[in-house]
Amino acid sequence: MDLTVSCLSHVYPGRKTRPALEAVDFTVPSGQFVALVGPSGCGKSTLLRLIASLIQPTAGRIEIDGGLTPSQAAAAQHIAWMSQSPALLPWLTARDNIAILRRVLPEGTRLRLSPDEALSMVGLEAAAEAYPFTLSGGMQQRLALARLLTLDSSLWLMDEPFAALDELTRERLSQDLLELWQPLRPTVLWVTHNIYEALRLANRVLVFTPQPGRIAADIDVPLPYPREEADPAFQQVLLQVRQALSLNRNQYEAAHA
Amino acid sequence: MKPHTPDSSARAALIIVLVFVLLWEGGVRLFSVPVYLLPAPSTILLTLAQNASMYAQATLLTVGEALAGLLLGVLAGVIIAVLLTLVPHIEAGVMSLAIMIKSTPLVAIAPLLTLWLGFGVLPKIIITALLTFFPVLVNVISGLQRVDGALLDLFRSWRASRWKLFLYLRLPSAVPYIFAALKISAPLAITGAVVAEWTGASGGLGRVMWLAYANLNLPYLFAPIVILAAIGISLYRLLAHAERRLVFWLPSSTVE
Repeated sequence: MDLTVSCLSHVYPGRKTRPALEAVDFTVPSGQFVALVGPSGCGKSTLLRLIASLIQPTAGRIEIDGGLTPSQAAAAQHIAWMSQSPALLPWLTARDNIAILRRVLPEGTRLRLSPDEALSMVGLEAAAEAYPFTLSGGMQQRLALARLLTLDSSLWLMDEPFAALDELTRERLSQDLLELWQPLRPTVLWVTHNIYEALRLANRVLVFTPQPGRIAADIDVPLPYPREEADPAFQQVLLQVRQALSLNRNQYEAAHA
Repeated sequence: MKPHTPDSSARAALIIVLVFVLLWEGGVRLFSVPVYLLPAPSTILLTLAQNASMYAQATLLTVGEALAGLLLGVLAGVIIAVLLTLVPHIEAGVMSLAIMIKSTPLVAIAPLLTLWLGFGVLPKIIITALLTFFPVLVNVISGLQRVDGALLDLFRSWRASRWKLFLYLRLPSAVPYIFAALKISAPLAITGAVVAEWTGASGGLGRVMWLAYANLNLPYLFAPIVILAAIGISLYRLLAHAERRLVFWLPSSTVE
């Protein structure tokens, strides 16, 4: 599912002087994995919330799948949302946390997997009857991932989904996520402040400037999976992203000195 | 330091109560306190035993009124909270009305209701309901509206209807708050029924207490206090138990 963002700006009410996002333009072709990288407060989460139509932009346009507005795309269940919090219903078992989609989504919505199929995709078949509070942080995020996989959506909006996990769990989950993503090939927008994570996963990195958020660099990551950090090509892209980040930090500090 | 288990804290509570009762008994005997000022615990228990069937009957009536009033108050509180959540623009008006009812002193309403509705159980139930509904209303509104932001985002991303959002997210989120409200309202219900009976009734513990007070018969006045304390503690424990079963996903908030 392709995505076009044109001249998008957003100002939060009550913070009129400093827009969160200013004149952002980019196009994502169908099936691309895009990492949105930048310091905190650079508007990358705002951008994701705008595309998910959780909030409405102050100005500009977002077109999904060749002309749908975010709200139309969401209504057609094209969009799947995942955030740093696993957002599980604590009173339901793992299986019921997925099964509830049937009840909450509009009648007739197509689902890709049954709850048990989804649980086995993320290796949680043994925890089907467990309540979320008995699961580790990593397992809770896996469960959230299983729920996302159940949706028949082709645009995944992921707002630092693994940011609250420890580094080891995070790497495992990133690897598993890639394996789940590759056969389905949905378009992914992945917000992160972790450059390594971005380069392990994404085909393309958009680097944002802080306050107001603008795109500072648009960097291709033409590396095959699985990616090795020791690979000189990996290091080269890493340097590019680093430079873009420090460059715009210097500009930011100069402008606000 | 010993681990703090429910068992050990129950034992500690029992010891504290026993020490208190023994000091009371000893003090009354040592200083020969006249019975019309402060009866000894033994005198109170004796009075209770000698009039067991009279007290049992009165207790049944009072507890019945209290539970009926509590049920009415909880239902009213929950229904109004649900309405205010589904139709938010009436909230300010309804809340002012609720606060007005809440601020009117019970001692002013109770005699009025007795005047209008007689000495039967109905005015007691209404007073108890009026007393108990406000904590329920305030708590349930909080529960329905203070829903986890990440879950709210998720339900919005699914384009869940207002009704489904209410049914599958807001209502279950409010259950812990309903228990918090019940733990405030249940003891209030007992107080409400007794105070209502005090202002004019044909029976019940409040009536017994009022008669005993009018005759300065203090053992008769103290005996119902023992009963009321026992009922209050039992009700609270029952609620705490139900809460642990139904709100199993949260750490217990109840001091046992």
